[in-house]
Amino acid sequence: MTETKPLIEFKDVTFWYGSTEDQPALKNINLTIHEGDYVALLGLNGAGKTTLQLCINGVIPNSIIGEFQGEVIVDGNDTFETPVREMAKIVGMVFDNPEFQLSQMSVGEEIALGMESLGYSYPDMVKTIDEVLEIVGLTGLIDRSPFGLSGGQQQRLSIASALAMQPKILVMDEPTSNVDPIGKEEIFQVAYQLNRERNMTVIMAEHEVEVMAQYANLVVVMHEGEIVLQGTPEDVFSNVELIQNLGLRMPQVAAFGHDVEKLGLIDLGGQYPVKLDQAVETYGPLFNKKAG
Amino acid sequence: MQGIVIPISMVPGNSIIHRMNPLPKLAWSLGILALAFATRNPAVLGAAFFIGLILVLVAQVGKAYLKVVMILFPISLTLITLQSIAPAFPPPWTPIVGFGPFTIYQEGIYSGISMLLRIFSMTTWAMVTIMTSHPSDIFTSLKRIGMPYSLNFILVMTLQLIPILQSEFGIVLNAQKSRAMKGTGFGAILPSMVPVFVGAIERVQQLSISLESRAFGSTGQKTSYRQVRMTFWDIALLVIGVLVTGSTTYWVIVDRTLDWSDTLVFHPVFAISLVIFATLGFLTFFVLALRQVLKA
Amino acid sequence: MEPIIKVENLWHIYPTGNVTAVRDVSLEINPGEIVGIIGQNGSGKTTLVKHFIGLLKPTKGVVYVNGKDTAPLKVQQVAANVGYVYQNPNHQLFARTVRDELAFGPGNLGIPEDEIEARVDQAVKFFGLEDFLELHPYRISFPLRKLVGMASVYTMRPDVFILDEPTTGQDNITTQTVYRLIKRLRDEGSTVLCVAHDMILLAEVVDRMLVMRGGDLIMDGTPREVFSNHEIMSSTHLTPPQITTLSLKIQEKYQSFNKTVLSIDEMVSEVQKSSQS
Ligand SMILES: Nc1ncnc2c1ncn2[C@@H]1O[C@H](COP(=O)(O)OP(=O)(O)OP(=O)(O)O)[C@@H](O)[C@H]1O
Ligand SMILES: Nc1ncnc2c1ncn2[C@@H]1O[C@H](COP(=O)(O)OP(=O)(O)OP(=O)(O)O)[C@@H](O)[C@H]1O
Ligand SMILES: [Mg+2]
Ligand SMILES: [Mg+2]
Repeated sequence: MTETKPLIEFKDVTFWYGSTEDQPALKNINLTIHEGDYVALLGLNGAGKTTLQLCINGVIPNSIIGEFQGEVIVDGNDTFETPVREMAKIVGMVFDNPEFQLSQMSVGEEIALGMESLGYSYPDMVKTIDEVLEIVGLTGLIDRSPFGLSGGQQQRLSIASALAMQPKILVMDEPTSNVDPIGKEEIFQVAYQLNRERNMTVIMAEHEVEVMAQYANLVVVMHEGEIVLQGTPEDVFSNVELIQNLGLRMPQVAAFGHDVEKLGLIDLGGQYPVKLDQAVETYGPLFNKKAG
Repeated sequence: MQGIVIPISMVPGNSIIHRMNPLPKLAWSLGILALAFATRNPAVLGAAFFIGLILVLVAQVGKAYLKVVMILFPISLTLITLQSIAPAFPPPWTPIVGFGPFTIYQEGIYSGISMLLRIFSMTTWAMVTIMTSHPSDIFTSLKRIGMPYSLNFILVMTLQLIPILQSEFGIVLNAQKSRAMKGTGFGAILPSMVPVFVGAIERVQQLSISLESRAFGSTGQKTSYRQVRMTFWDIALLVIGVLVTGSTTYWVIVDRTLDWSDTLVFHPVFAISLVIFATLGFLTFFVLALRQVLKA
Repeated sequence: MEPIIKVENLWHIYPTGNVTAVRDVSLEINPGEIVGIIGQNGSGKTTLVKHFIGLLKPTKGVVYVNGKDTAPLKVQQVAANVGYVYQNPNHQLFARTVRDELAFGPGNLGIPEDEIEARVDQAVKFFGLEDFLELHPYRISFPLRKLVGMASVYTMRPDVFILDEPTTGQDNITTQTVYRLIKRLRDEGSTVLCVAHDMILLAEVVDRMLVMRGGDLIMDGTPREVFSNHEIMSSTHLTPPQITTLSLKIQEKYQSFNKTVLSIDEMVSEVQKSSQS
């Protein structure tokens, strides 16, 4: 594998929402993300996933009051010195409550909002809007009111609005709460395609470990403001004890492998399949004994 | 969810008026507004109202217009009743007939009628404008002629927020009922405001972060996605609108003879039936509305 | 046994937009049943369950709760027997403290003070809310608010407990609390209806699943029946839990294996069985 250059670097980042006497929301974060990575942020409620994501486009420390230490460098920009609206050209953000991100009278205008602020020409806007609607699967809804869309459609719309500014990095905070399973799958697919085809860097916070293990190449596990584990999904989910002690769930197929290995029925050397296809391959023979 | 839907909004269509740029429409409406405040001559106001009605027909928004009138008309009828016994004129007043402690005056009838016409001339023109223009087009045109971007945004957002908060309020009220809430009336409704209010604050906080993350508030040149055409005819109508309404307003202010309040004399039978009709009309409406509210 | 909820040819058409959200649905739910309701966004799940507490009234058809037609009843009257936990806790919470929030429902039902206090204490322990009792519900985090929403209905001890999407946005620990709640409600003999997209939760806790598609009730069966019905699953675009899918894929590949499992433990015991044979 060729070494790509780091796109996002957190250097000793500590952040307090209130005073430094309280527990910090982020504690000594050191994290390097490369161009083209698909990063899954895992952790319990309150672990600091959202806070970490807000550092990537500089909302923290520029717009949210608090005590900030350390340095975040994104595509060569120090977020401390770059205004958030400048960072918007590099980082697209999708927040967890889609309805609270909407303000315009039609889907088209909602997507155009950012481009208008950046002075895109009219033909460019029209072309881009068509393109991003197609990507998120909302073609045909351009004149609908954003507030009349279903929760899942609103979530797609906020992705489209972020994509319209052609960011290098797409940050998504639990983008599929309230979406049905197929809608979830579709949103992860969209992110995956952007990641594969356009080399877009994706950073996603999510509670559903199965899908994250399926798509991410880097899993970052947070606990009480710290990064406690990071690596490939296979590596991270081989730390079964730690994951379970943190109160997190393993992907079901990996948890299954761990249980079966404990019973001595299979030897996986502590590395469990985390994706469905791998699991079918690995476990199939266990069930074929009768026939064989 | 349920809630009352605001009835005044755009009625999709393709009439000549729909296809016009919003600016001339706004200019005419504002002109009529000025005119209506400048005069109380029933003929002038009646004419403005009548032309407004023709526009309603041309724009084919009659149904939506009538829906608003059904609410507006009975409420405005109170003006007739109240004005007839307490005119907005300096005394002395000319009595027509007395009902116990109340006396109906000539000036009162005059003032009631002209106020009614004033309201209807203004609102008819305003409704034609609103019902035939996409709100985004109105805002885009205003932006074009120099309205600040952020003020524009606040207006758009407020317009969006009203129906949302209304429906949230309905949801919250239902949530309390589903916990067997006993009370009724205002005391019970008050706690429902809390979640709606907190929700609105959270919404605005989240929205401001989200907007900033989408480059909102950048200092450079801004462009507009929504394109509003301004044809020769739009400009012509805009200019004519300003001239016509402006000069008419000037005329009604200067020409003192247009105040017919001294000369116009209403027949007592007419005056009495008008006041009775207005009072009954309003009371019926009030009772019906109250029943509706109590049922909900 | 008398069904606690009985639905006869229920239709619901929303006047705004003329949407038929529920189309000719009939079903019965017996006391003590734990029922999951699944279906895509907009398939009519929420609309259906809102009839059970009288928040919506049938456009056509009849809904009986405890043998009574809900049409003439007020929500407040139905609420004595039926509890509904909203998907969004922000719609539900309004009291000054978490404690007041938990006491609000039973207070309305006219329960004696000391009994209310006992119920509040018990709910606080069960949901782990000890540290937040005197805080304003809006001062605590969103996932905790959701637990407060559940606790504030739990203190009313309804016969029927309806949960709408109880686990969205929740981490594994709070999700476990939802599991425990449903299991406890089962032990206490309550009837539970759970609308959810979280198939792992449903696979482990419900006895029966109702599948909605475009307003129609298209299937009523055990989770095992539903998940292994390929036609239903693909036409509703629903995906079973990963472990269930694993067992289905292995069935496809090795015909000798034919069990549709619902949990990791079940899958493990299948392996044990096949290694012993
Ligand atoms: N605006 C805020 N003001 C004060 N404290 C905050 C604020 N936002 C978050 N916190 C605190 O910071 C910590 C980290 O919160 P954060 O929202 O980043 O967690 P998270 O991992 O995103 O959780 P979740 O899964 O619930 O979204 C928590 O202890 C939280 O209570
Ligand atoms: N108040 C309403 N007015 C008009 N239509 C509505 C209303 N509420 C819901 N609908 C429509 O009725 C249909 C069923 O909605 P419902 O909320 O019952 O779906 P659901 O299965 O609960 O979906 P989700 O998984 O998104 O919660 C949808 O088409 C929806 O758009
Ligand atoms: Mg978060
Ligand atoms: Mg629903």
